[in-house]
Amino acid sequence: MWTDRELLGALQRGDDEAWEEAFRRLYPSAFAAARHPLAALTPSEAEDIAIEALTLLLPKVNQVAEFDELRLLVITIASRKAISEKRRQLADKRGGGDVTSLDAMQDDENLRFEPAEQLTGRLSPTDLRELSRLLDAALAGLNPSHAGLLRDFLVHHLPYKELAEKYRMPMGSVGVTLARGLEKVRAHLKTSPKLSKELYSYLR
Amino acid sequence: MDADSFNDLALRVLAGEATDHERRALEAELTAHPERRDEFDQLKRTHDLLRAAAPLTGAMSAKEPELPAHRLNELRTAVRQHFGPAAQRTKAASASGWFSALRWIFAGGGATALATVMVLLFFSNRSIEVGLYGTDLMRGGDASLSPADVPAAKLLTFDQDAPFDQWQSQPLAWYEHAKVWVDNEHDLLHVVHRVKHGHIVIQSLPLAPTTAGQRDQIKQVVELLEK
Repeated sequence: MWTDRELLGALQRGDDEAWEEAFRRLYPSAFAAARHPLAALTPSEAEDIAIEALTLLLPKVNQVAEFDELRLLVITIASRKAISEKRRQLADKRGGGDVTSLDAMQDDENLRFEPAEQLTGRLSPTDLRELSRLLDAALAGLNPSHAGLLRDFLVHHLPYKELAEKYRMPMGSVGVTLARGLEKVRAHLKTSPKLSKELYSYLR
Repeated sequence: MDADSFNDLALRVLAGEATDHERRALEAELTAHPERRDEFDQLKRTHDLLRAAAPLTGAMSAKEPELPAHRLNELRTAVRQHFGPAAQRTKAASASGWFSALRWIFAGGGATALATVMVLLFFSNRSIEVGLYGTDLMRGGDASLSPADVPAAKLLTFDQDAPFDQWQSQPLAWYEHAKVWVDNEHDLLHVVHRVKHGHIVIQSLPLAPTTAGQRDQIKQVVELLEK
C-alpha cells in the first residue's frame, strides 16, 4: 500500500502501477465532479468526462507538491469540462433546428452556465480546499437538520419539494431556513476576505 | 415585506422555484424599495458562488463509484503515451541509485539505451503505415504511390494475401499512430487511427476510381493523420 508521498514520487517517475492506483483513488472524485448538478450529464457522459480529466493530470503531476492536490485538480477539471459539455450540447441542440426564441435561450444559457464556468475555470486547488473548510465550518454551526438541508440544496441542487419531503418540513419553511443558512455561510466567507474577494471576482 | 419573507422570495427566484406571480412580486418589491436591491445582489452572489462551487467540495470526499475496469486500458495507454514505454524501468533504475546506474552505463547499458532511443525515434517518425500490394504499385506505373508521396508514413508492400491480412488485423502497436490500406476488393480505403486518449477509430472511405486519384487520396489522408 502506497503512502500519498510515495505514490506522488512514483507518479512523477511515470510508474505504471502507481498511476493505476492513483486513477482508482481519484476516479470517484472525478466522476462526482463531472456529475455537477448544473451540467446534469448522464452517468455515461460523466464517465467520459471523468476519464478525460484523469488523463489531463499526467502533464500536471510535476507541478504538485502533494498527492491530494491531484484530487483537487481533477475535480476542477472535470466540473469545468462537464459544464462546458452541457453548454455545447445545448448550443448543438439550438443549431439543430430548435429555433424558438433564440436570443432568450442564449441569454438563459449564459446566465446559467457562465458564472459556474468562470468559477470552475479559475478556482485553484488551494481556493477549493479553503472554501471546503469554510463551508464545513459554517454548516457545523447550524442545527444538523438545517445543515443537511442547506448541503443538499447547495451540493446536490435538490428542489424545494424534495427538500421539504426529505426533511419533513413545510414548503414555506424550506426557503426561510435556506436563506438563513446562506446568510451564515456568507458571514463565514467574510472571515476570509482574500478568498471571498477572489471567488466573487471569478463570478464576473 | 419583512426580512425573512424577502429573503425567502428572493431565494425562490434565484433557485428557479418561483412562479411568475412571485417573480413579479419580487420585481415590485425591488422597485418600491430600491435599498433592497443591494441585499438581493449580495444574496445572488452568495447563491451563485455556492451553487457552482459547493458540488466541487462534495466531490472531494466521494468514495464511489469504482473506476470501471473497461476504461483502465485507455488510461494505461495515456500513461504510456505521456511517459513512454520505459516507465516501469525508470522506477527500477532510480531505486537502485547512482552506483548501479553508472555500472550499468559502463557495462554497455548506455549503448543499449542509445540503440533503443534510436529505434524509438525511427519508429516514432514512421508511426503511420500505408499497406498495399506490390503488384498495385507495378501496375500503376508513374501514377502509383511512392515513398516520396507520403514522407510522413512508412510504405509497406505485400506480395501475398496472408501477410497482408495479418498486418491489417494486428492491433496498432504502441509506436503506431495509424495505418491505412487499400481494399481493392470492396473499393474502399481503410484507415485505423488513434484519437484522443488512445481511442482507436476505424474508418472506411470510398476508394478513388483511378490510380492517380488513389495516390492523391492516400497523400491527403496521411497529411491529415500527420496533423
